Amino acid sequence: MPLYLAPTVSILHRLTAFMAIAMILCLPLASAQARTLETAFGEVTLNGEARRVVTLYEGALDTALAAGVTPVGAVTTRGGDGVARYLDDYLDDIAIVGVVREINIEAVLMQRPDLILATPLISSEQYALLSRIAPTVVPATDGFSPDAWKDEARLFAQALDREEEVEAAIADVEARAAELASALAEHEVDNDVVLVRWMPQGPMVMSTQIFASGLLDAAGLEVNDSGLVREGAGHSDPLSLENLSQVDRDWLFLATLNEEGREALDAARRSPAFDRLNVVQNERVIPVDGQLWSSASGPLAAQAILDQLEAALLP
Amino acid sequence: MRIALMRIAECLPAWRWRRPQGVARPFIVLSLLVLLAGLASVLLGAGEVGPGRAIAVLLGGGDAEARFVVGSLRLPRTLIGIAVGVALGVSGALLQAMTRNPLAEPGLLGVSAGSAFAVALALLLGASAATLRVSAAQLGALVGCLCVLSVVRMRGVGSDPIRLVLAGAAFSALLASFTSLLLLFDQRAADEIRFWVIGSLSGRRIDDLIAVLPSLLVAGVIVLAIARPLAALALGERVASGLGHRPARVRLLVILAVSLLVGAATAIAGPIAFVGLVVPFAARALAGPDIRRALWLCVPLGPLMVVSADVLSRLLVAPSEMPLGVLTAICGAPVLVAVVRARRMPTL
Repeated sequence: MPLYLAPTVSILHRLTAFMAIAMILCLPLASAQARTLETAFGEVTLNGEARRVVTLYEGALDTALAAGVTPVGAVTTRGGDGVARYLDDYLDDIAIVGVVREINIEAVLMQRPDLILATPLISSEQYALLSRIAPTVVPATDGFSPDAWKDEARLFAQALDREEEVEAAIADVEARAAELASALAEHEVDNDVVLVRWMPQGPMVMSTQIFASGLLDAAGLEVNDSGLVREGAGHSDPLSLENLSQVDRDWLFLATLNEEGREALDAARRSPAFDRLNVVQNERVIPVDGQLWSSASGPLAAQAILDQLEAALLP
Repeated sequence: MRIALMRIAECLPAWRWRRPQGVARPFIVLSLLVLLAGLASVLLGAGEVGPGRAIAVLLGGGDAEARFVVGSLRLPRTLIGIAVGVALGVSGALLQAMTRNPLAEPGLLGVSAGSAFAVALALLLGASAATLRVSAAQLGALVGCLCVLSVVRMRGVGSDPIRLVLAGAAFSALLASFTSLLLLFDQRAADEIRFWVIGSLSGRRIDDLIAVLPSLLVAGVIVLAIARPLAALALGERVASGLGHRPARVRLLVILAVSLLVGAATAIAGPIAFVGLVVPFAARALAGPDIRRALWLCVPLGPLMVVSADVLSRLLVAPSEMPLGVLTAICGAPVLVAVVRARRMPTL
């Protein structure tokens, strides 16, 4: 029996081994040709490199630019007329195809995209429409998490076939944040901070789970929302002026959608309840661009936030 | 002006004479209730300063934090709430008497919406001075009033209270969409304008109140002058003319007074609906249909509603605050439904 079988087994064995080797050799080739992505709406298979990318999400635009891909169309930043100002250096002109919450499908169609990168908040109806125009990649992000941007960036990188570039950009951000953390610790900078948006009836405290808070945390600062932000929400309701002491910490980052952060600070200081806070009296209120700090995400936004953080806090 | 002053001179003593004792007692009781509500408004808030610490401040002591919260936050909004309540209550009663429609209300008819739209427009054009904002609000209210009046003058619509309210709702919606359009044009001013979309007493300062005091006083003088002709007008235009009043001029003065009052209230607190509906409704229930008596009761009833609603707005969602306009709508909408569903629509 063994005499008969031995050659057969041997042939089978060799055949399998050969096939396995062939498959291993073919894999990189196959992935460049067709790659399968795990998205919020199931698997999406992409072929080749996308030439006309439309981004329907601030984080997708940021990641694409960081990866060296210039999209042909994008949505406006929240509360703005165009894309966020911090991206001005990376991009000359881009077609606007709507706002994050209201995408103009016809404008998307006009760009004749071959790849669409969308927001995790997109509805399934919109996804159904968009995926008929071009393969649509939606990150499966559940609620707010300070590090969600990394997973999103990696997925967009896969879609753009620029994984190495994006991985390097993420590593740069992590290294930069760690560097800043040790520099701040060295200078013994006070680290109790709060991030708010000023409204005329009171401040909205931003969640510790949003992108900017995650970076502040990575830079060694204690972001505090005083337990005011409900789980799953990006910010609290406007706080009563009687409760402003809750935002009286070592540093107060005042995000505003207005062009001039200084104007927002002036407007806030017109309120006596704000003006009497210790953090205001000590001039430790840092007006920051809300387009960057409360709406953006991605490697470029992270670098821009860390730049501002360094300029504001390091003596 | 001289005629107006003469009219006041002629009607003031008469008014006091004829004011039945039936109104004096509820007036005093309601005023005491306003005092109580005002006290609650000073003692209670969304913050950590509770009644105990606030009482210490009222007695002349208290810590710095409590003194600030009571003196600079709660006291101004209480006083502003009283002024806004008087203005909206009285203007509601005036509008209802003029249009002879129990549902006429500045908020429902689009007078407040016109006022808020004008403020948004002024803000967009770069206005920021408090006084300019007041005059913009009053001009907007005037335009709103004139639109209401033109609807009332239309045959058929004016005689049906519900159709007037429908016209007003359409007008309000139109103006609200214009305001949203302004928000779209200039996102930068959006934060500041959003405040004008729904009313609130939070963060307002005593300076804002002082800025509108002159126009409130002028409106008060006008109201004193037209109370009697307005009561005569309730008997019909012919009777009023026969009694020596001029209906057209009375109407004009009513519109002027309502624009001044609603414009002032909107300028300091944003659009607040339903106060002008609920307050005259309650006043008529207590004092009967005579506009002169009802007006007297609107003076304490308005502040009672606004200040109580404001206290609630602070307590319900502490440590945040609810917009005042939401609460007045919650109180007012059932009254609107009740009036409409009443078997016989009371006509004035």
